Amino acid sequence: MAGCTLTGALSVACFIPGAVTVVHAPKGCAHQTFSMLHAMMNEAETNVVPEILVSGLSDKDVIFGGEDCLRLALDRAAAKDPELIIVVTSCVPETIGDDCLAVCREHAFADRTIYIPTSGFLGGSAKDGENAALIGLSALAKPAEPVPGTVGIIGEKNLESEVEENFAEVSRLLDLLGLTVSVRFCRNAGVSDLRKLGTASCFILRDGRSADAGRELGKSFDRPVIPEFPRGLSGSITFLQETGKAAGVSSEKIEEAIIQETEHQKKMLEKFADLAGREVCLGVEPFEGTLAVAKEALKRLEMTESPAGITVRLPFYLPVGVSGTVKMLHLWRRAILHG
Amino acid sequence: MDEGLCTNPVWPCAMTGACSVLAGFSGLNVLIHGSSGCYYYPRSLLKVPLFSTYLLESEIVFGTVDRLREVVNTLSTSKKPIAVLNTCIPALTGEDLSGAFSGEETLFVDAPGFIGNVEEGAKIAFERLGIETDASREGVNIDGVSLLDLFWRGNLHEAKRILTEMGIPTALCLAKDSYENLRKGAALHTISVNPSYPSEVGTMLGSFLFPDLKETCAKLADTFPNADIDPILEEWKRADEQLFYSSDKYLRKYEPPVVAVCAQESYALFAKSMMERYFGSDVPVTLARNRDAVNIPSKTDLTKITRHIAGCSPDLILASTFEANAYPKAAFLGITPPDRSRVSIAARPIAGIEGGIMFMENVLNTLIDAASLKQKK
Repeated sequence: MAGCTLTGALSVACFIPGAVTVVHAPKGCAHQTFSMLHAMMNEAETNVVPEILVSGLSDKDVIFGGEDCLRLALDRAAAKDPELIIVVTSCVPETIGDDCLAVCREHAFADRTIYIPTSGFLGGSAKDGENAALIGLSALAKPAEPVPGTVGIIGEKNLESEVEENFAEVSRLLDLLGLTVSVRFCRNAGVSDLRKLGTASCFILRDGRSADAGRELGKSFDRPVIPEFPRGLSGSITFLQETGKAAGVSSEKIEEAIIQETEHQKKMLEKFADLAGREVCLGVEPFEGTLAVAKEALKRLEMTESPAGITVRLPFYLPVGVSGTVKMLHLWRRAILHG
Repeated sequence: MDEGLCTNPVWPCAMTGACSVLAGFSGLNVLIHGSSGCYYYPRSLLKVPLFSTYLLESEIVFGTVDRLREVVNTLSTSKKPIAVLNTCIPALTGEDLSGAFSGEETLFVDAPGFIGNVEEGAKIAFERLGIETDASREGVNIDGVSLLDLFWRGNLHEAKRILTEMGIPTALCLAKDSYENLRKGAALHTISVNPSYPSEVGTMLGSFLFPDLKETCAKLADTFPNADIDPILEEWKRADEQLFYSSDKYLRKYEPPVVAVCAQESYALFAKSMMERYFGSDVPVTLARNRDAVNIPSKTDLTKITRHIAGCSPDLILASTFEANAYPKAAFLGITPPDRSRVSIAARPIAGIEGGIMFMENVLNTLIDAASLKQKK
């Protein structure tokens, strides 16, 4: 995802029901993210509109200072009596020198306010914003004893169109291990759910994009961290091994899960048996890791790679588990059989 | 100060508006002097090539001139003129950027997002383009074509068709033309397909939106004595009759819909007028996106807009999917961006005769589908 830290932070903060997000910025900055969230939510056929309250800095405010605008926005947010107010900022208040932290601390609602100093592009990239939000919001949870059989998922890409499909695939694998997801940090989880973060027996990151937050949270809560969702076919097996171990699942149970998964993969690949023996050209890798997943699928289906083969495009996303691989194979079959 | 405070703002910033104008001219490289975030949004919205200096924090601290010069120099190799579009932070630091340009044909457009909305930015871009009229240029300019408009391609085709039918050449399309054509100057007279995006170039003869078309044709006939407007007037009359026929048929079965309209002022008034003329509709909510709206109130805070809409319990919303999602009880037809309710690839007009017909056809189908869905439930 492109964009500045503000977009990144909002893509995390806006998925907490019961919280109000205050953006201290000109209206246009908040519109950009709101518009993107709207697009993704429509794609996911979810009509829930996250509420983003923007202080709306104008040309006058950038001259005379915008702290009063933030105070007003906090007043408006507090009037809704939310469980939590999350304050994020764009590059404009950073440049004009607004002391946003002080405004938040002095506000009557300070005990229910979390300030995430994102600072637009001055704070880095969208990825930095996502990590800053995840780390900032982890302050809601206290260290606790791990509850066996539970895992926490951290840093799902809320703006990814197949976010729920990826979650379903990970849940399927976790189910094989007898594990359940106790918290999705932060996707459609209320404040009370987010507070449970410390009870998960291990954390699973969506991918390396949230590695900074993963490191920080793993350290704070003293939990093992699985670095990413499973990549393709063999990645699913590795995922079962690593997650099972991290969550304290018995080695017998892990072995059993791997046998079941291997059988499942075999069954899914049988649907593409008509591709065996086909020559394809994989072309460039648009997203790091996709080539390895594609090459493994080729091998398993007894297809061959050749510059003279039919060009099949690699997906612009990392195929998660078997379901992600199957989607890629459908696109290949379309190209091979129908041009 | 309170007027700035806003929940879920529904309209883009001035920089995006300026960008939409500049990017409409092929042969002009548009360079956004700002961060990747400021570049990403107009790039994804306008779907045209844009360039950016991708400013970093260190450049804000130590000055952005070197970075700007570096990108300008690279772009200069294409031999195309460059429009440098300034964004919030370099505008705030007040840096003198003139040192970044040397011999290149460069246009500097200072339209940072915080100065306002799309229309303010578009206005600045048009001013900076400094488009001159030229009495020797034949024909009429087509105004109000914005890459941000859901209907820009359809409107452009339809306006050109109507002008061709009348025997009037098209001079310059604002803002969708070649930069080379723009530099030749504009014709003395202009018509608009969306008056809420005014370029202020040439003498405005009127709008091509369906309710205004006959009057605009009359002015064109006065200005261009050789123009033949009769076939268009005849076509308009036939379309009008057809629209009455189709809406009468609907009204034999259903009550006139109560309608809420939210769009730029020009489209909002068009939609209101069409719904009143053909359905006798009550249109209790008509809100503008543009701050300079003259006849209706402007609102860009989705919470406030939704409150207005909910207050009148409409049967039909003519707006964007922001409103549709916020008030899902009503049927919906998109007339302002974003419209995420449908896949839109074709060049659909809302202006001209075909635009009027298409609007009404879509309204009728939307209402009939909604009624049918209600019955099934």
